[in-house]
Amino acid sequence: MQVPGDVQVIKEDNVTHSFCGLACVGWMYQKIKDSFFLILGTHTCAHFLQNALGMMIFAKPRFGIALMEEGDLSKHEPSLEEIISEIKADHHPSVIFLLSSCTPEVMKVDFKGLAHLLSTPDVPVLFVPASGLVYNFTQAEDSVLSALVPFCPEAPAGDKKVVFLGSVNDVTADDLRAEAEALGIPVGGFLPESRFDKMPAIGPDTVLAPIQPYLSRVAVKLARERGASVLHSLFPFGPDGTRVFWEDLAREFGVTVDLRDREKAAWDKIRNQTELLKGKKVFLTADTMMELPLARFLHRAGADVVECSSAYINKKFHARELEALDGVRVVEQPNFHRQLEDVKLMQPDLIITSLMTANPFVGNGFVVKWSMEFMLMSIHSWSGVITLANMFVSPLQRRSKLPAFDKEVWLEGVMPSAE
Amino acid sequence: MRLAFWLYEGTALHGISRVTNSMKGVHTVYHAPQGDDYITATYTMLERTPQFPGLSISVVRGRDLAQGVSRLPSTLQQVDHHYNPELIVIAPSCSTALLQEDLHQLAAHSGLPQEKILVYALNPFRVSENEAADGILTELVKRYAAPQEKTALPSVNLIGFTSLGFHLRANLTSIRRMLQTLGIAVNVVAPWGAGIDDLRQLPAAWLNIAPYREIGTSAAEYLAEAFNMPAIYEAPIGVEPTLAWLRSLIEKLNAAGAERGASPIVMPPLHAFSLDGMSAPSGVPWFARTADMESFSNKRAFVFGDATHTVALVKFLRNELGMQIIGAGTYMEQHADWVRKELEGYLPGALIVTDKFQDVAKIIDDEMPDLVCGTQMERHSCRKLDVPCMVVCPPTHIENHLLGYYPFFGFDGADVIADRVYLSCKLGLEKHLIDFFGDAGLEYEEQEVSAHPEEPAAAPSASNGHSSTEIAADVAVISEEGEMKWSDEAETMLKKVPFFVRKKVRKNTETFARGNGESMVSVEVFRQAKESLGG
Repeated sequence: MQVPGDVQVIKEDNVTHSFCGLACVGWMYQKIKDSFFLILGTHTCAHFLQNALGMMIFAKPRFGIALMEEGDLSKHEPSLEEIISEIKADHHPSVIFLLSSCTPEVMKVDFKGLAHLLSTPDVPVLFVPASGLVYNFTQAEDSVLSALVPFCPEAPAGDKKVVFLGSVNDVTADDLRAEAEALGIPVGGFLPESRFDKMPAIGPDTVLAPIQPYLSRVAVKLARERGASVLHSLFPFGPDGTRVFWEDLAREFGVTVDLRDREKAAWDKIRNQTELLKGKKVFLTADTMMELPLARFLHRAGADVVECSSAYINKKFHARELEALDGVRVVEQPNFHRQLEDVKLMQPDLIITSLMTANPFVGNGFVVKWSMEFMLMSIHSWSGVITLANMFVSPLQRRSKLPAFDKEVWLEGVMPSAE
Repeated sequence: MRLAFWLYEGTALHGISRVTNSMKGVHTVYHAPQGDDYITATYTMLERTPQFPGLSISVVRGRDLAQGVSRLPSTLQQVDHHYNPELIVIAPSCSTALLQEDLHQLAAHSGLPQEKILVYALNPFRVSENEAADGILTELVKRYAAPQEKTALPSVNLIGFTSLGFHLRANLTSIRRMLQTLGIAVNVVAPWGAGIDDLRQLPAAWLNIAPYREIGTSAAEYLAEAFNMPAIYEAPIGVEPTLAWLRSLIEKLNAAGAERGASPIVMPPLHAFSLDGMSAPSGVPWFARTADMESFSNKRAFVFGDATHTVALVKFLRNELGMQIIGAGTYMEQHADWVRKELEGYLPGALIVTDKFQDVAKIIDDEMPDLVCGTQMERHSCRKLDVPCMVVCPPTHIENHLLGYYPFFGFDGADVIADRVYLSCKLGLEKHLIDFFGDAGLEYEEQEVSAHPEEPAAAPSASNGHSSTEIAADVAVISEEGEMKWSDEAETMLKKVPFFVRKKVRKNTETFARGNGESMVSVEVFRQAKESLGG
């Protein structure tokens, strides 16, 4: 039985054409500046990081692969002492994150024990479950933050402050902090901060405000272990999400604010963009797990979201976003073959999709936007509204400016393997 | 176990998919955890494929392993329904290979006819990209190539041309142009653009052309053995090798034609191979003899790459441009013997064989060559050192997948390579002027930079497009790291050396000083070093 607001989520069987959890290294090593990310993995992991993420090495990168070769498969427990010494000598990190991958997980390597063994009081080694056997693209950030929990000092009872959950760049962090303070909300900090020794204090009166939609596990862990409360609101994307987020957060601190005027002003600022989005059919394939709030913004902006799919949907953590998506087709763990057929039937005006699938959709006549870009742009809160709106609009506008395209002529021979 | 950052070769799965992604009607299904289909992005982004590559993943999750369920049969059914391929290749990933599952049996559960399925289960811990690609291509050729009549007119197969190959399309065009000039038909190109039927027709050609040591050689060898087909294995890279390649092609086809009483192919006047049909087919022989290229005889080149390109580039730089080869190496260990044999007499020392880019970076740092021909990784290493570098083989970057016609093969290719060498290296007369007059008006760049370290000044052409901030910063780093002290006067003297070679001079001088037991570089030591090193 469906009660009002209880959105039906269609569950299918697979997530394809998206990355595994190791991808989080790409932004996490840049966020935590005194860290090193060590992946216990294979040739595949290394090839993935260097190719798909296009991570080019101009200087010494603060991530690397402890490369398992054939001889290592028969060893009972991998010995990483030498590699850890090499990393310490070359990089002097304050913390080393040890990421699991599929092969050692199949081998049932005891990562917790291994990390414990390698840890020293000066340089802790923290286990981060990240393999594609369990975790999607962005979910390993959740694992990294969970591993950081013991290094967040205990905030005493009565120390009522907000701690924002999620890695964002410094500009966005400053912006969120200033906004909170302007509303009279005391700020305890961010998990993660940019340095390992600066992680925020968290205690029973901390309010955790998730600012990325893929961090449910660390939120639950902090609620359980520290008694912190978790804000259940919309994520602060777009005028609607931003208003609800700040109003709900202020309420946690006994502050009543009405930000409807501010929301309206924000919608006004992007009127040209929303005019263009109105009635446009948008399809989101599953990739970064940012799909729910992005679809909600599009839905509110007047677009016709024909399908919003995501790798994982947590009915509690994502409850408010799901409510706001009432009436939209929402799919968890979508089947890509089915999606291809539906896309053909629905003929969406815009597809938000992964690096792997974008160009083939374009080749089939669609307009696309890379889903990963939404993770690398400042789209949070009020200051991110225009950027967010433009990201959906610019591919549509760009396409309308390019000359007419005759597939028969301009795609001939581009892909000789295609029939 | 070792700490790795970059690897030269991709995985076995990547090698398999390079072949199947090249082909029509063939689909690869990876039996692998989520994310292992990242390989798809290399095709859709580097080759900008306008259709979905024939690659699907059958996701294996930790939960499935615990419960003993497999999605493979249903994935195969979906792939069959959606793409209707003639052949589905099933390949495990490194993690699922450890599970020792019976993939044949799992595949049979899909209900698809057996002849539609090829399980290609290599040991991903033992086999890498190129060996896997060469292996599956050979496997497919063995499976489908059928005995048949030869074509009436002389024809060849082009074997080993594979998706993501280095300058693949342009090389193919260059070869096609030469064949067209000779009136030789192309029977089949494989795997690039070939379907299963094309593979069946391979034996109809008179001869196989398999220019890549890494991929296609084994398939051509199989065809030679099973169908008695002659083959040419050389790569036509450089003017002289191209001429030799053409002569060998004509000779072998005429031998095959003589058995059938066909009229012999005659080498046309060489201008027939030029782009306009009436000029020298390549500018390289004259270019190499022009006066300003004389300075190239002092240029020290270092080459590192796969087997095919390492051999070809060493020979080209030395034989055709008259450069000095100070060293060469390859990451293709299984072809190292072949490379060694081909380069006998070319190298001052032993061939370097390694798959660790740090080792190669160290050699470049020690030698400071005037030109490095390498992979994308050497380009990074060289950028840090301000050493000129051109990428000549995989692994590549999206910058190496350009739209224009830049072949490495044939006469056209010789011109392209020579142009790149010329643009990469510091120039002739310009270099003399700078060397002779020291600052040559460039000195202000560095001063400006130190006055405004935040604003990178426009770099002079001689610094090869790198901003001078980068160079100034590098110099500072080196002097901090180097243990050798310099007297103030020696430091002043060093400043008179053009800034873009200053680092090299500093390094050589310090090495010289250390070798002579000096603890500090004085003006006297610096002068001695200059005399002894010829700086």
